[in-house]
Amino acid sequence: MVKPISGGSLREAELPVSGVAWRAPAARSESPFVQGLRRLRRSMTALIGAGIVAVLLVVALFADVLAPFSPTDTDQTTTFAAPSWEHPLGTDQLGRDMLSRVIHGTRISLIVGVSSVLLALFVGVPFGMIAGYYGGQVDRLVMRVMDLILAFPIYLLAIILMVIFTPTAGLLGTMKVTGAIAIVRIPIYARLVRGSVLSIKEKEYVEACRALGVRDPWILFRHVLPNCLAPIIVTTTLGIATSIIVEATLSFLGLGTQPPTPSWGWDLKANVAFIQANMWLSLFPGLAIFVTVLGFNLFGDGLRDALDPRLK
Amino acid sequence: MRTYFIKRLLEMVPTILMITLVVFIMMRSIPGDPVVAMLGDAYTQEDAERVRHDYGLDKPVVVQYLIWLGKLVQGDWGTSILSGRPVLQDVMIRLPVTFELIVLSMGVALAIAIPAGIIGALRQNTWADYTATSVAMIGVSIPEFFIGVLLLLIFSIGLGGWLPSSGWVYLPGTCPTMVCGVSLWGNLQHVLMPALALGVGRAALLTRLLRASMLEVIRTEYVTTARAKGLAEKPVVFKHALKNALIPTITVMGLQVGFLIGGAIVVETLFAMPGLGTFGIDAIIARDYQQVQGFALITAFAFVGINLLVDLTYTFLDPRIRYA
Repeated sequence: MVKPISGGSLREAELPVSGVAWRAPAARSESPFVQGLRRLRRSMTALIGAGIVAVLLVVALFADVLAPFSPTDTDQTTTFAAPSWEHPLGTDQLGRDMLSRVIHGTRISLIVGVSSVLLALFVGVPFGMIAGYYGGQVDRLVMRVMDLILAFPIYLLAIILMVIFTPTAGLLGTMKVTGAIAIVRIPIYARLVRGSVLSIKEKEYVEACRALGVRDPWILFRHVLPNCLAPIIVTTTLGIATSIIVEATLSFLGLGTQPPTPSWGWDLKANVAFIQANMWLSLFPGLAIFVTVLGFNLFGDGLRDALDPRLK
Repeated sequence: MRTYFIKRLLEMVPTILMITLVVFIMMRSIPGDPVVAMLGDAYTQEDAERVRHDYGLDKPVVVQYLIWLGKLVQGDWGTSILSGRPVLQDVMIRLPVTFELIVLSMGVALAIAIPAGIIGALRQNTWADYTATSVAMIGVSIPEFFIGVLLLLIFSIGLGGWLPSSGWVYLPGTCPTMVCGVSLWGNLQHVLMPALALGVGRAALLTRLLRASMLEVIRTEYVTTARAKGLAEKPVVFKHALKNALIPTITVMGLQVGFLIGGAIVVETLFAMPGLGTFGIDAIIARDYQQVQGFALITAFAFVGINLLVDLTYTFLDPRIRYA
């Protein structure tokens, strides 16, 4: 049986057995993208990262089932309980179960982290493509606006945006944080895509398309976009890690999703006041932020090594 | 070089104007205004209008901005609506605290990252490299405030109050008022944890960048040549490799200034330091327009200034880079 030669390195074991004539896989040729995914499967860091992210997704999805108590129910009789069988991570000053709060906090962190990056992506990528593809006045106008956002220290902008949006609790509050983080992250994707498009649009296959009379949107989405996907995917994954840190930081400053909605940054800050006697209250939300960010960073690092060897 | 420098200084002006203008407009689009907060609950509509008129808040936003700018050129940063104190005075009182914090944290970052990055690259794929890269991975994944909390747990609580958990003691000669603690030792005790909290994250990022660019540089031909001509390892690493590897690293560090400012706000808040970070966040939340403008101005200066500094460092690291 002939094994197809896989991705990056040619290893002895994967070479065809001697005596058998090597045939190119007939129907299917591997795109660099598929090769990249193959490399990804071999990357230890990426697998650990993916594992952490998968566990977090399960925790976020099944938070209601997994959490032993309601994250918002207060109980005056059990304030500041030390970790025990009933409350493995103790309770806070209102008697709320810390484990349940940490479990539910996963939702806010993941929702804001992922959706703010996706939002930035869906706005930034088209702008970047249009700017890069059409050039000239359009390019100048779009990039001027992007530079305007980039010229800001990211936290100054995010903080003022949150004050304008006035932080609230619940879903609306989460959407506000998502929006604020997305706005400050848009230029990253616009710049990235614009750079790739500038080189791709000069390629012969794009010229061929144009000669054939293919419409611009089709060229952009069918031929240009797939070719700048690798850096976008890598930046997105690492961007989720950054967004989660920004969300936690805004929450820490009191400008994230407001209580009673459980948010790690807020819980950490609120409990620093009681750190002397109840250290676990600040420790666990902090650890949760750390593990989440680590998961996305590891996965993103692995992705980068697999998809874009130049960036290594 | 001098013309380049002057050109760059002039280029800073539009960026600073733009940042302050956008902040000016954004602050005034926040629902509610500081006049209501200042007057409290019991006020009449006429009172509010009179105060708005006194502070010029009834004029169009652009006119207000031009008035602010006009006063700024004369060295008047305005007066806080809420505290009644001149903004420039408050900024100057708080600047040394934040300056010390940032300089020390960058020192911490460099002191950790340069050796770690070099070792990681020179001993690639050994346990030393794995340790350096793993620790760096952990470092970039911890937000500053959590490092701060861990430090608090270890040094202020665990070790029986080795280091103070909050507050500030000024360096001799920087005390802004008649009543404030001044001592070198006290200052060191107070600044150590914040500087570590802010520096460790930067160190992790720097280590990763430096290791990556060192790996690239040590494979270049000029490094092979330097080794081939019998140069000792030390000058090869420090004179030939490190200087070139630092260029991309410093570029990225320059781009990170925005995060550093956020980090300073967070760390100052956690350790209750009387710096610009706490000044800024308090002003923004209280909607103290004049103070926010002062904060935006000083932040914009720092932001643009550090980027200029980054560009100037290139000429020092690589003499081939010359700015005409």
